[in-house]
Amino acid sequence: MAHQAHAYHMVDPSPWPLTGAIAALLLTSGTAVWFHFHSLTLLTMGNILLLLTMYQWWRDIIREGTFQGHHTPPVQKGLRYGMILFITSEVFFFLGFFWAFYHSSLAPTPELGGCWPPTGIITLDPFEVPLLNTAVLLASGVTVTWAHHSIMEGERKQAIQSLTLTILLGFYFTFLQGMEYYEAPFTIADGVYGSTFFVATGFHGLHVIIGSTFLAVCLLRQVQYHFTSEHHFGFEAAAWYWHFVDVVWLFLYVSIYWWGS
Amino acid sequence: MAAFGRISQTLLRSSLIQTRQLSATAAHGHGEQTARTWKILSFVVALPGVAVCMLNMYLKMQHHAAHHVEPEFVPYSHLRIRSKRFPWGDGNKSLFHNPEVNALPDVSFLNSLVTGPHSPNRLLFYSIMFTSVHLPQGTQC
Repeated sequence: MAHQAHAYHMVDPSPWPLTGAIAALLLTSGTAVWFHFHSLTLLTMGNILLLLTMYQWWRDIIREGTFQGHHTPPVQKGLRYGMILFITSEVFFFLGFFWAFYHSSLAPTPELGGCWPPTGIITLDPFEVPLLNTAVLLASGVTVTWAHHSIMEGERKQAIQSLTLTILLGFYFTFLQGMEYYEAPFTIADGVYGSTFFVATGFHGLHVIIGSTFLAVCLLRQVQYHFTSEHHFGFEAAAWYWHFVDVVWLFLYVSIYWWGS
Repeated sequence: MAAFGRISQTLLRSSLIQTRQLSATAAHGHGEQTARTWKILSFVVALPGVAVCMLNMYLKMQHHAAHHVEPEFVPYSHLRIRSKRFPWGDGNKSLFHNPEVNALPDVSFLNSLVTGPHSPNRLLFYSIMFTSVHLPQGTQC
């Protein structure tokens, strides 16, 4: 039986990077086809392939780490770097939308009425639902920290409770934001105000849904005894991502909802 | 009452950020106690903070329902832009369209429009576009 003389993980050949790339091609071309030719075929195929890729790739990582022991300390360190770099790239992604917002709002053009918010735009009251959303996300940051310490201290039941509470708060945020989107007196087509508002908050909402899903997977894994008090990087990555989502919201709230109103 | 909610929430927010920073640096400090600390914070600070904001919202909505004044509608040309149809439905409604609060531009003929430089509807299209919706030159739909 062969043994490796190092602590690193030489990953077995996998088809999922290829299926992921094909999914990306189908999604991009599918979106263009949908916009111009009103056909949803490519887009649907892309979505199905994307979901299958994500499910199987991450399932394999869990098998390699939790069941086969490949995630030694140096490997875990690499995974940490990876998650930090990914979140950093996401920060830059949002920076672009904040740049767009400030570009348009700091020097409003004559077409908008020379003012911000533009003439005719009825803004949302920052101290109604947006404030509640802020409280919800901040509270979820507290509960996810409770979850982390519970896992570290081997408190299984508390970990499950706090993680569930965090996910419920995440769902509540999404629900409230959906309601806000429906009740808003302006739409994405209402000039640059609508564009910057819905693109920035929309991508943020998508990230809340992604973060909630990540945490839900962690909950399932916690229930199935995957995490130990010393080794639970999947959860840590989810918690980092969740804090990132919270911080982005705080910037959105202060810039677009509060200052921009 | 609403102002109280606002002030307490601002205090809440700053204290929460401070406590989170404290915990990040002292992740393994106080060993067994830390989970309990965060549990207490969750139920005594975080969730009541959410409840206060929910109450604040409920009171504000009641106030709005009693004193709501409908603003006068002006069909500004820099709003309700339709340079390209939405890829769903009749192409005129946004994804979260709410008939009660979202006015639609008068482009009902857009569906029957034949695009192209020699379209018979082109002049009609441009004349109405000019008055109701701003359209940059040379836009294809």
